[in-house]
Amino acid sequence: MTTYLNSPVKEVIDHFPEVGEILADYQVGCVTCGVGTCLLKDIIEIHHLSAEDEQAAMGRIAKVVSGDGVTTATERVAPELAEPGEATASASADRPGAAPAGRVKAAPRYSPPMQQLVDEHLLIKRWLALIPEVLESIDVQAAEDRQLILDGVDFIRSYADRFHHAKEEDILFKYFDETQAIIQAMLTDHDKARAHARGAADAVESRDKDAIAEHLSAYRALLGEHIKKEDEILYPWMDRDLTTSQVGELFRRFAEVDKTSGIDVGDKYSRFVTRAEEIVGKRRERIQ
Amino acid sequence: MSEFQGCPGSRMMDLRHNDEAREDVTGAPVGAVASELRQWPIQLHLVSPQAPYFQGADVLLAADCTAYAVGGFHKDYLKGKSLAIACPKLDEGQDIYLEKLKTLIDEGRINTLTVLTMQVPCCRGLVNLATRAVSDSGRKVPLKSVVVDLQGEVLSEEWL
Ligand SMILES: [Fe+2]
Ligand SMILES: [Fe+2]
Repeated sequence: MTTYLNSPVKEVIDHFPEVGEILADYQVGCVTCGVGTCLLKDIIEIHHLSAEDEQAAMGRIAKVVSGDGVTTATERVAPELAEPGEATASASADRPGAAPAGRVKAAPRYSPPMQQLVDEHLLIKRWLALIPEVLESIDVQAAEDRQLILDGVDFIRSYADRFHHAKEEDILFKYFDETQAIIQAMLTDHDKARAHARGAADAVESRDKDAIAEHLSAYRALLGEHIKKEDEILYPWMDRDLTTSQVGELFRRFAEVDKTSGIDVGDKYSRFVTRAEEIVGKRRERIQ
Repeated sequence: MSEFQGCPGSRMMDLRHNDEAREDVTGAPVGAVASELRQWPIQLHLVSPQAPYFQGADVLLAADCTAYAVGGFHKDYLKGKSLAIACPKLDEGQDIYLEKLKTLIDEGRINTLTVLTMQVPCCRGLVNLATRAVSDSGRKVPLKSVVVDLQGEVLSEEWL
């Protein structure tokens, strides 16, 4: 069992697909993660399961990987990973804010700087939602349609990347050990997103409709998953680790970025998304 | 005859230079608990929002009773913070409190504001006061509410 706890989750799931199903039962959606390099033991910690769920999940996983349903005492790396029903110190008492027993977790309440990032995700998600319909109706020979894609790529580069991802990479992640798998996975996603933005811009240049669709669809799938991971796992985990003083510092540093970035967040890019929504809405009406 | 210096109970004293000396106390025999207080005065009517120890500080606004209810008040809540205490039920001049908190936010340019209150309903008034101060201020600042029960156990801890 210890070997598996110290193995990347993807490897464990490849060996034992049932482990993926068990994790999914506890709302741990690592099965769909494109990276999967987080260690199984870290996954359990990062997802902040209640002590009861953590024990139950580990008990079920132990049964699967050991094949005979038995884990030896030496295989248990930490008391909170013991079999259900086993007498252990209460994990939740040592972990302030531990989720109460039960699988349904309330929506996390973020610290103010983290809430800002979540709010920025909302605007990004509005653009992601439009992509399929924009691609359906696009005419690459029409200058107006090409401009819509170029504006979308500008939104991705200027707002989602230079503005939002820069807050994460240049400020937030610096408060943590950036060699950790979960942060490395986020950085890899950011790089892939940049490559898709470049690909889409090049495809507009060459008026290659298929390539535009390929890159924007891939971007949409990637960022949708990425935002979900940040909102549901990464940010709550980081919030639990940040001190009150660090929260204040982050809040101030984000405010400085807002002021100096030269991007009028509430204006230019939300206006673009609203305009794109109107264009898509009109096209939808025409089709109906 | 010495010059009259006002009420000694409200005389401002900056005790932050004791921080280093306090490090030594950590190794003190079991039973000795070091104070984490680094300023005087502490009552919200008496503190000056312009005091140097409020500048850019993480401020704890504690309901009077919390210090008695929470065993680890100094270690768990006061450490590293500047303090103001008040009672939302018995103290007069709540409007003065509001103005003072606004000045702390705008002129003291505090880093964060943590409101520590008891579970009793009247304590909610202090959270409301802080919420109003933050929303009425020109500057925005992260505001956290921690509610404890009569034994000092944390009932809720959340950013507002
Ligand atoms: Fe990100
Ligand atoms: Fe993000």
